[in-house]
Amino acid sequence: MNKMSKKVLVIDDNQNSLMLEKDLLVVAGFEVFEAEEASIGIELARDKHPDIIVMDMRLPDMRGSEAARILRQDERTRDIPIVFVTASVLAEGKEELKDIPNAGFIGKPINTRTFAKEVGNFIAHAVSDDQQ
Amino acid sequence: MKNTHDIVSLETQRLLEVQEKVNKQLLQTNTALQVSEEKLAVTLNSIGDGVIATDAEGRVTLMNPVAEQLTGWVQTGAKGRPIDDIFRIINENNRKPSTIPVKQTLVHGTIQGLANHTILISREGAEYCIADSCAPIRDRDGQVVGAVLVFRDVTEARNIEIGMEKARQELAATKLSADAAREYAESIINTVREPLIVLDQDLRVVSVSRSFYEVFKVKPGETVGQLIYDLGNKQWDIPQLRELLETILPRKTTFDNYEVEQDFAGIGRRIMLLNARQIQRASGKERVILLAIEDITERKEIEAGLGKAHEELTALATELKRVALVKSEFLANMSHELRTPLNSINGFSEVLSNETFGPLNDKQKSYVNNVLTSGKHLLLLINQILDMSKVEAGKMRLSLSTVSTKSLLHEISMLVADMVEKKRLHLSLEIAKDLPNIEADELKVKEIIYNLLSNAVKFTPEGGMIVMQAKRGHAEIEIVVRDTGIGIAPENIEKIFEGFFRVDTPYSRVTEGTGLGLPLSKKLVELHGGNFSIESAGLDKGTLVRFTLPIMSRKEA
Repeated sequence: MNKMSKKVLVIDDNQNSLMLEKDLLVVAGFEVFEAEEASIGIELARDKHPDIIVMDMRLPDMRGSEAARILRQDERTRDIPIVFVTASVLAEGKEELKDIPNAGFIGKPINTRTFAKEVGNFIAHAVSDDQQ
Repeated sequence: MKNTHDIVSLETQRLLEVQEKVNKQLLQTNTALQVSEEKLAVTLNSIGDGVIATDAEGRVTLMNPVAEQLTGWVQTGAKGRPIDDIFRIINENNRKPSTIPVKQTLVHGTIQGLANHTILISREGAEYCIADSCAPIRDRDGQVVGAVLVFRDVTEARNIEIGMEKARQELAATKLSADAAREYAESIINTVREPLIVLDQDLRVVSVSRSFYEVFKVKPGETVGQLIYDLGNKQWDIPQLRELLETILPRKTTFDNYEVEQDFAGIGRRIMLLNARQIQRASGKERVILLAIEDITERKEIEAGLGKAHEELTALATELKRVALVKSEFLANMSHELRTPLNSINGFSEVLSNETFGPLNDKQKSYVNNVLTSGKHLLLLINQILDMSKVEAGKMRLSLSTVSTKSLLHEISMLVADMVEKKRLHLSLEIAKDLPNIEADELKVKEIIYNLLSNAVKFTPEGGMIVMQAKRGHAEIEIVVRDTGIGIAPENIEKIFEGFFRVDTPYSRVTEGTGLGLPLSKKLVELHGGNFSIESAGLDKGTLVRFTLPIMSRKEA
């Protein structure tokens, strides 16, 4: 792990999930920003420029896919990898997100032992993807 | 004695005169006789009947030309011969010789007629139908001195008569068969349950079948001869019927299955099906109309009832489908709503159990683990309910990919290895070398195999044995999971697939399970296009689950 801690933005409207994910990431050494709505999350992303965004698929003001499109259209957030935390591992759920570059999934419920590691791996993969 | 001489002379003179007179008279008589004989001959020659005269012994004395022609004899040859030789007659029917009436006439002195149907056979063998009569010839004293036979050729007349007789017989026969046919037809008509009515060209009732009277509650007296429209106080004056009989029938000569509805005073509203045939009668140009009336009121009611029932059923089925859909959607929503807090419970208790934020004492750790175990069980249950409802609602989609079957089987067997070891079970894998990869939804296949293996582990007592076999079939692979466990009673095999069936044994209390593993596995196999079956010889006889999966998916991804 880098001495310079990685910044993670977690967007989830469920306060318990948000808290759990934040705590696990903090324990793992991440600097965590949190938002319960997509619009707030997008603002935070522009402002804080996190290394990764962990986002729920269902958000109160818009769908995760919509938020992702907005993020991808903005130069400041275009390259930030996004990990969707979703129970929907169905084809139709992925269909919605297949055009979003530099995005991944973590299934719900999260594995508390491996969650932070998985998030960290996405950052690493995103970097290596960029290099390809 | 001059006186005596004179007397003799005188007497002689007188006698001579007498003789002269007699001679003259005789001559006159002879002349007269000759004239009359000539007259007779002319008469006899000119008449159209044959005439034969005989003497008292029945010998021919005279024949006229017609008699000569018919008998084939000439008078000169026939004269003096017995009448039998000349006049040979037989009975027309039995062709036996008939008695010649001459004999009776000679014996009894009566006029005799020939029996009818007599045939005269001529000398040459020609046959003539004859009619004849015979009259006696008497002298002045009334003694019968001969007979006169008068006969006539009636062949032509007889032929006509025979023809007529034949015609009469045929007519009689025809009449008989017509009667029989009529009787036959009537018995049919009266047996037919649907009322039949025969009308003449003027639409007057000629006859009706018995059932007509029964169905329409009318009497023969007020029916036959009536105009159809006038029947039953003009109840039959139905506009539709008028149109059928007066417009359609003359044009088409038949009509079929016209539905007519009418309110009858006696029997209420009836729906009738009318069929009609216009029939040309064999004799004459007269036409009759056969009208069959089928009362379909009840049938219609039943149909309407059925239709209504069908509608209700359809509505019910639609409603049931809707309810099932609503149920599935409700379950899907409920599952999501339940899962969200449950994920928190599981997540937090897992983090606590991991002691990420500091150590727990044993009691705390044990409690947290119980929370976690129960939470995970609940989550499994919810997931399976969700999957079941998705399959049932037809919303379960397969995410197809190439599945490496061999490694998948090994992978799953590793997942249960801990449990197998704890119960000291023996698990053996018999995987055919040529087992191919298949096109399937990998997660679903894993779930199926995991369900079956974990079931086998759960329901097999310690020290038991589990075998998983996999081999290639024709266009599918077959996987069998067999155990030496508690088995299933025959009566419960089907119940297993109903969901939430828990085998009621001591083990079921100590083993974890949702009761949805097998039904869900079956549905997932079937969703892939495979077969799923379960066998057990009975309680404590072990269980065998067999299922197939197509090598190439029959479903579009």
